[in-house]
Amino acid sequence: MREFDLVIPKSLPDALDALAANDVIVQPLAGGTDMIVNIRARVAQPNVLVSLNDIAELREIRRDNGTIVVGGGARIADFLKHPLLIENAEIARQAAFHFANPMIRNLATAAGNLASASPAGDMSPPLLALGAEVALASKAGTRTLPLDQFFISVRKTARRPDEIISALRWQVPPQHTGHAFYKMGLRAADAISVISVAVVIERAGDTIREARLALGAVAPRPMRAYQAEALLNSQKFTDAIVQEAARLASEECSPIDDLRGTASYRRRMVKVYVARMLRQAWERAK
Amino acid sequence: MNKKTIHLKLNGEPREWSVFPNELLLNVIREQEMLTGAKYGCGIGECGACSVIVNDQVALSCLTLAIAVEGAEITTVEGLVKADGELDPVQAAFLDYTAYQCGYCTPAMIVVARTLLDENPQPTEMQVREYMRGNLCRCTGYASIVRAVLAAAEKEKHLAH
Repeated sequence: MREFDLVIPKSLPDALDALAANDVIVQPLAGGTDMIVNIRARVAQPNVLVSLNDIAELREIRRDNGTIVVGGGARIADFLKHPLLIENAEIARQAAFHFANPMIRNLATAAGNLASASPAGDMSPPLLALGAEVALASKAGTRTLPLDQFFISVRKTARRPDEIISALRWQVPPQHTGHAFYKMGLRAADAISVISVAVVIERAGDTIREARLALGAVAPRPMRAYQAEALLNSQKFTDAIVQEAARLASEECSPIDDLRGTASYRRRMVKVYVARMLRQAWERAK
Repeated sequence: MNKKTIHLKLNGEPREWSVFPNELLLNVIREQEMLTGAKYGCGIGECGACSVIVNDQVALSCLTLAIAVEGAEITTVEGLVKADGELDPVQAAFLDYTAYQCGYCTPAMIVVARTLLDENPQPTEMQVREYMRGNLCRCTGYASIVRAVLAAAEKEKHLAH
């Protein structure tokens, strides 16, 4: 494997100092499940890796009034095990259950999954549907972006090389909120999505107070289906509106043909599964 | 690139390793410790053949930098055998049920099954399949592997009483 130096800071400021060096290629290392693979494939060519794994504050998972704050070092497995996340990130728990396999879940971080910015990244649609924000920390300070603005294109994000995702945040889902996630893979384990659909609905009686709908593997980046959301918000939940929202979502995505499926198949499946997930989320929102 | 000295426990024994920053845990276990149970398979986290236990959790040693396990407790399949040579119930069950063909995936299968039973002593068949979904057997001997894990769980239930 390529030669590199590894620094293992104990504090976030030390890590950000190390990342600010600009004479060599410095890259952050979290779970390593993408980075080590990328180094071996010569996709990543760092001179220095800055490990984020010994920084206690990045492992924090806490509630701050009405906000859930998850440190950038939180593992995928935390979404299956941590009581605060089980209670306040149901849709991310569902996605974590389908994520790769238990060994990868113990190593990989949610922040790293977002930072890799694969259009098919498993944690992106659920966190988009939760309305999450990312905190990007650098030596110059911390800025916060809605997750939707963090994704730019295939494997491109708004993260500068000297920044790391220090935290993910979202509002505690209100009462009467329902979550539904679907991942279509070609097998159960270690699958890369053909499509994925994440729906979070807040319900008020027979009316949709707010719906957030996110799609994976059907656009250059994980996306919110804003047209479908706009149609649904503040409307009565009916068969007709579900069908129309599903149709809009299948039109506003822009899938491609690849070895896992064709663009037209993906569009049709978006239509089918957006409708199903809307109904599931609605039922669960009671 | 300079070597760094780290301390850890491997199969219950204190160890001092001198490793380069880009050395993988798997390579140190195999080439320095000469424990060849954990295997290199795919190198991208899909086959599970390199699975070892790091601080009570299953991890992929081919995606873990050796330096990162400073202070950790690591268990490989070799460490599951008791000091008197008695096999772990999972190992014994793999023998009883002939839960292997070529054997390449077997050490990791056993290590991951051991961790499963430590976390969930009486899993259902579905839970066994879920937990071991990241361990591939190219001989496709899954049915006997699942039977062996369930049998080990059953045996341990009786041992516990």
